[in-house]
Amino acid sequence: MRRSDRIRLDEAVALRRERFGALAYSYRDRQLLFIDRRLLPFVSSDGGRPVGEIADELIDRGDLQEDAVPHLMTVLEGLRRKGIVHVVV
Amino acid sequence: MSSYETLHHGLSAPICLTWEVTYACNLACVHCLSSSGKRAPDELTTAEARALIDEWAAMQVFYINVGGGEPLARPDFFELMEHALERRIGVKFSTNGTLLDRAAARWIASTDYVDVQISLDGASPEVNDAIRGRGTFQHARRAMELLAGEGFRFKVNHVVTRRSFDQLDALYELVTGMGGQLRVTRLRPSGRGAAVWHALKLTQEQNRRLYAWLRTHPDVLTGDSFFHLSALGAPLDGLNLCGAGRIVCCVDPRGDVYACPFVLAPEFRAGNVRERSFASIWRDSPLFRRLRAREVEGRCRSCGAYGRCHGGCMAAKHFTGASLDDPDPECVFEPETGPTSTLIPLPLTPRPLRPVPLR
Repeated sequence: MRRSDRIRLDEAVALRRERFGALAYSYRDRQLLFIDRRLLPFVSSDGGRPVGEIADELIDRGDLQEDAVPHLMTVLEGLRRKGIVHVVV
Repeated sequence: MSSYETLHHGLSAPICLTWEVTYACNLACVHCLSSSGKRAPDELTTAEARALIDEWAAMQVFYINVGGGEPLARPDFFELMEHALERRIGVKFSTNGTLLDRAAARWIASTDYVDVQISLDGASPEVNDAIRGRGTFQHARRAMELLAGEGFRFKVNHVVTRRSFDQLDALYELVTGMGGQLRVTRLRPSGRGAAVWHALKLTQEQNRRLYAWLRTHPDVLTGDSFFHLSALGAPLDGLNLCGAGRIVCCVDPRGDVYACPFVLAPEFRAGNVRERSFASIWRDSPLFRRLRAREVEGRCRSCGAYGRCHGGCMAAKHFTGASLDDPDPECVFEPETGPTSTLIPLPLTPRPLRPVPLR
């Protein structure tokens, strides 16, 4: 996933906040996924801002380590491949 | 963090919420978990049931597992399911198939968020009907054909027993050959299941073979039913933990909330939705708080497989008179405790199919 990508949840996916982050449930294929709290600002951004911008803000606030960003992008890419999130075009 | 550590202390709402909508059933299967047969006079009314669905929607319950009794015996069944779907709650319902007609099959196929599982406890009438009642194999098969005819990918739920174990491959072929998906679940000594437990539970050898069979059939669903078998090696697909009161609960036809559908016993009743909101019961009932705080103690804690099975099924222990700190009665490391014959006479006979009890 590129820093300039904007993402939104698939319309068939519901997100429920939990203490560890959130549970995502896809009504399309009945997948249940655990969403780590560090991913929440990205998956709930509704395509409003590029993921790189969200990451920068989290780093500035001290909520995210800079060296964790590549891994987060890989995880987001995995969610995209599973159809949980889409890149807004 | 493992899924066990993540889920052990509970969630804001259940992942797996079973709703037994009625005790009415036109069958009387010998292993019925809820000892169903007659409708209870004080079952939730339509208005109460709709309000309960509204509450679940507010809690963002993703889907409900609807059972009974026979759910289709409830005259307002479709109204309630439509209500759930309108509130974006997916429906997975279990049926014996006898009341599923073409109109029902069409309605099911027309929805996006309904899953149906038809109960079938053998690949032949001889094996199935001894457990579920004469003629039920053909009724279930007809229901499968109706759903397949509508292009709907149904599921078949099979409670695997020592009598049906050798038919697993045949059942798999039957179900997948009709475009369906097989789900196998564990026999529990709950409800009428207590009376047939020793006659129908798998032998230890069958349990070991089942574990291997499931490992080679990843498309077969289990509903996390056999996590006690994960002690044998690589964990089976699923969360592999007892979710009672943590991620699972059951609401019975009267609105009583239990820790799981397999422990419909006073000790595991957390409250009633006529007296307190479901959300309040789920979040704050003393029973559920205790279950979320407890760990299995005893011998299991020093077992090398504890991290894979976490002590097994609470219901199986409770209804066999074991302590909740004892190993699961079907622990793979425990010795065989009874005869290994696969044709032990059943102490119960399933009642023949009867007309649907009317309200």
